[in-house]
This record gives sequence, structure tokens and C-alpha cells, in this order.
Amino acid sequence: MIQTILDALSNGGLYGLAALGIGLVFGVMRLINFAHGELIAIGAYLLVVTVPNVGLPLGLLISVTGTAILALLMEVGVFKRLRYAGPAVLLIASFGVSVFLQRMYEVIFGALPVSAQVAPWMNGVIQFGDTTVTRGTILTIVLALGLLGAMWFFIERTTLGLQIRAASSDFNTARLLGVRSNRVLASAFVASGVLAAAVAFVAVTQRGSVDPLFGINITILALVGTVIGGLGSLQGAAVGGFLVGATISLLNSFLGSYRVYTYTWLFLLVIIVLLVRPGGIFSSKALKERV
Amino acid sequence: MSLLKVEDLQAGYGKVEALFDGHIVVEAGELVGIVGPNGAGKSTFLRTIAGAVRPTAGTIEFNGQSIASKKPEDIVRLGLSLVPEGRAIFTDLTVEENLRLGLTGRRSRDGADRAIQEVTDLFPVLSTHRDHQAGMLSGGQQQQLAIARALVSEPLLLLLDEPSLGLAPSVIQDVFAVIGRIQQQGTAIIVVEQRAHLVMSLATRTMVMREGYVRATLTPEDAGDEAKLADAYFGMGEETP
Repeated sequence: MIQTILDALSNGGLYGLAALGIGLVFGVMRLINFAHGELIAIGAYLLVVTVPNVGLPLGLLISVTGTAILALLMEVGVFKRLRYAGPAVLLIASFGVSVFLQRMYEVIFGALPVSAQVAPWMNGVIQFGDTTVTRGTILTIVLALGLLGAMWFFIERTTLGLQIRAASSDFNTARLLGVRSNRVLASAFVASGVLAAAVAFVAVTQRGSVDPLFGINITILALVGTVIGGLGSLQGAAVGGFLVGATISLLNSFLGSYRVYTYTWLFLLVIIVLLVRPGGIFSSKALKERV
Repeated sequence: MSLLKVEDLQAGYGKVEALFDGHIVVEAGELVGIVGPNGAGKSTFLRTIAGAVRPTAGTIEFNGQSIASKKPEDIVRLGLSLVPEGRAIFTDLTVEENLRLGLTGRRSRDGADRAIQEVTDLFPVLSTHRDHQAGMLSGGQQQQLAIARALVSEPLLLLLDEPSLGLAPSVIQDVFAVIGRIQQQGTAIIVVEQRAHLVMSLATRTMVMREGYVRATLTPEDAGDEAKLADAYFGMGEETP
């Protein structure tokens, strides 16, 4: 029972981080970035390529830095040029970036999964009485809490975070007050890149290999999380992502050999939540006003 | 040299032109009114001066610099602040966070605490609600917050877009009393208003806008002259350009 709860917390934390990364960028520029999955994938690729050669600490540093740089390149290279385009254009552009990067990964790393032991100790187990959990489960919970705490501090307690919140709720008014739009957007992308790298680290230790479509599944489910939580609300994104991840884990445990139906039940629950609260759990007033 | 000099300004949204001939001159410390019916292009005029709408033609000179192609976040740093129509405060943020955002547009980093202290002295109600969500404030208090937030950047010129919108008459009197006090402290102000008499009693000059054009300039003496006012407002006995 405790094991089931810890697994749910851990998976929830993982999806919460992914959803927060998507929610941050959506918040400031109303862009649903489908290419977030490719940020997670590059983070994972950088880990499996570098860790066997340079060790975990340096490999992690390279992965986080590289992912943040790719996120920044997306903004500067593509989305910055579409600043005055509508949401539909941005959405399609992000699909384009996503497919482009998948093909690039195929060219660079090959279409087949690349595997490496990134942090084998994470699969080791810890025994509490009659409960066994992997170190990875505990570490994911700690990592998710730490990063969510760090993001909370960044968003709620720093000047740049205040500017991001202002830009999220009313971009044009924020600019009239002197908020530098390019700097705010770039920092949101960088933060979302850092979160993607954290997700990549956890996911790659769980799965052991990376392929060009590595980030897609988690991105789509995290997107569902941001919608459940309420698009445009950062707490909503984190909570929604957490709920989706935790629900998947709980359904997997309870359904046992019927776990093929996990996603059927998940999406049934999603539909019910959206019927009851169409704007999501933390529905955002700013978004309603703008759309 | 005038603080603000705008000539032949044109602007619009996409293919829809809203402003055909905006011109205005504001001297340092002066209060100028802009009145006119709905859809006259008053808001577009202010938004274009502040950089929120890009001009398609014309010149805007502020404090000796051309600002017609600058971004709003750079224009506010030169000392020109717009309080947009409908107040546009951040309702999810606290009163203090709203004020701190206003600090972003300051020309220098020094004196930020003093600037916040000064506006809370001017609007005492804001210090009592400092840690409350701005959305909990009444309409009049929100308008005060929006003006205070613009003032902490210590602008040379403050643009106010319909500060009376949606406020009770007694509250409007209070807001305009504060606007008068801000001008006495040396800040130049342009006020856009539907209530012509209210502005004309404070302003050294009042421009009348209609259908995207500045049509007339009125002096405080014209305030009692209903015929002249109606003429300027509705364009009776005048050729269309």
C-alpha cells in the first residue's frame, strides 16, 4: 500500500514537472509547445551519450545546459519571429519544430533506441519493514519537490518571476510598465528547458534507453494535465500534471493484469473533470478575458 | 522645446485605421485634455504615443527624442507612462506586487522605496490593502492603484485613458482631485475623458477628437460655452476634410 502511494507520488511528480514546463511557456505566450517532448528527448540523449564518458555529475550539467540552450534556440529561432501571429500559427509551428527535431535526432542518433546505464543505483531498492521501493522512486519525489519549490521561489519571490506572472496575465500591460518582453519570454523558455532536462533524467533512468520519440508520450499526458489544471495557471499546470501522473500509477497498480485499460479509465476521468469544470481546476480569469 | 510634440500621427489595428490625424503639443508640467465621442480614436491616440500600437505614419517627439518606432517597455523608461483604459491592473497579484511592477519602468534603480512611499502617501488606501489581492479592491481603489503604479516610475508625462470609466460620481471627484495634485507636483498629464466639463475645468487646453481626427482645441473659457462645445463635439456647420 505504502509502495503504491510512493509510486503514485513519484510518477505524479514527474508529470507535474513536465506539465509545469509546458505551462510556463503557455502562460507567457499562449503557445502550446508540442516540441516540449523534443526538449525532454535531447536531455535524455545528452545523458546517455555523455554519462558513460564523463560521469553522472558532468553529464547532468551538460544535459541541463544543452536542453536549456535548445529551448532558447526554439524561442529565438522560431517563436520570436511569430510574436504577432495567432495561437493557431504558433501551435502549427510548434508541431513543425517537433517533427523537425525528431527527424534530426534520427539522423544524429539513429532511429533505434540508444541505451546506457545513466544511474543504475537508482534502480536499487530500499526496504522499509515489508515495503520495498526503488531509490529512483524516492529520488524522483525529492527531485520533484525540490524543483517545484525552486520554481515556486523563482516565480513568487524574484523580480523576474513577478514579471513573468504579470506577463502571463496581461502581456501588453506588462510591457507598458517596462517589462522587457523578450527577456521574460526567453527566461520562461530556459526554465521550461531546465524542467524538461529533469524529466529526461528521471525518465531515462526508468526506461534505460532513448529513441527519437522518447518525449512524446509524456508530453501529451502532461498537456492533458495542464488542461485539467486550467491552462494559463502555473499552479494548475503543476497540480494537473501531478494528478495525471499519480492517477496513471494508481490505475496501473489497481488494474493489475487489466492495465491495458489504464488510459481508458484515465481519459474517462479527464472527460468527467472537464464536464464538471470546463476551464480546468484552477481556471484562469486572465485567459478567459483574452480569448 | 516642448515635452511632447506629435504630428500627423496615423495608426490602426490590422487593416482598420482608427487614427487619421493625431497631433498634440504638451509643455512640461501641463495638463491637456482630450475629449470626444466613443470611437473617436482617443484611446488609439494615447496607445500609439505610448508605443502599444505602432504608428503607420507621423512623428512623435518626446523630451527631444523621436519615439515613434520604439517599444512600449523602452518608452516608459524615457519617462512616459500610460494608464490604460479599464485600469488593467493585475487582479491576481497583490497591491504591493502591482506597485513593484511599476518600478520596472524607472530610469534609475535608486529611490525605489521612496517612490513607493510617495505614492502610498498620495493614495493612503493602498497601504492599508498592501498585501491584498488587487482584484479585491473597489473600482475606485483599482483606478488609484493603476495611477499609483504608473507614478512609481516617476514619469515626466502621464497618459490617463478614461480614469472615470465605471466609477461612481463621488469617486470620480476624488480621482480628479488626485490628478490635479499630481500635476501640481510637476508631472505633465494628458487625460482622455468622455466627461468634457470635468477635464476642461482642470486642463490648460482640451483637444476634441472625432472620427480619428483632432478637430478643435478648447480653452477653459470655452467650458461655459455650450454652443461651441456642441459644435466641436458633433461637428455642426463644418466641412469634412
